[in-house]
Amino acid sequence: MALRATVLRHFGMTVRGPPLALQPWRSMSSHAEDHLSKEEVIERVLAVVKDFPKVDPSRVTPDVHFQKDLGLDSLDNVEIVMALEEEFKLEIPDKEADKIDSCQLAIEYISNHPMAG
Amino acid sequence: MGSSRGQKLSGIQKQVLSLYRGFLRAARSKSHDERRNIESVVSQEFRRNAKDVDRKNFLYIEYLLRRGNKQLDQLRNPGTTGLSSLQLRFSKTNHAGPSSNL
Repeated sequence: MALRATVLRHFGMTVRGPPLALQPWRSMSSHAEDHLSKEEVIERVLAVVKDFPKVDPSRVTPDVHFQKDLGLDSLDNVEIVMALEEEFKLEIPDKEADKIDSCQLAIEYISNHPMAG
Repeated sequence: MGSSRGQKLSGIQKQVLSLYRGFLRAARSKSHDERRNIESVVSQEFRRNAKDVDRKNFLYIEYLLRRGNKQLDQLRNPGTTGLSSLQLRFSKTNHAGPSSNL
């Protein structure tokens, strides 16, 4: 990741893209240079969690725990992680998925995933 | 499963969640309407069992896991469009405890 930032900087490019709303090509493309910024990952993870039917959107923050803070159960937890898979076009193995129980861990996992789109 | 909040998952809990995930994944390969239907039926079934089945009744939970995995195998078959054929068996579940078909 650091190497990538260095390479991009070398070519006079910034790693951080414009806000999501200004990236109409985003959803269409899966090129490597279309790498996700941490800010974008946070924004989209929060959007998915807020969108979950049983969640009160006003309580969702980047460090919220799905079950302790949002009153969800372990089945809801599975559903949220699956919704994140779809949002970022990933398939998260069971072993990893079982560990993702908060926004913070979801953000961490997705922003470190090379295939997240 | 509410009392598992924030705790480490037990082996059998992991198996249940993995089965649940398997159903939701299999549902993705079906038509939009079928998918919604499968998600709704499967979610209801899992939540009902989570509420009704004694957490210590491992024998019965293991039976439900085996049955669920068989149903999941059927659902994964591209020829199976949905749960309509499986639904009957879902609703016949005996929640009282281990039954004669164990």
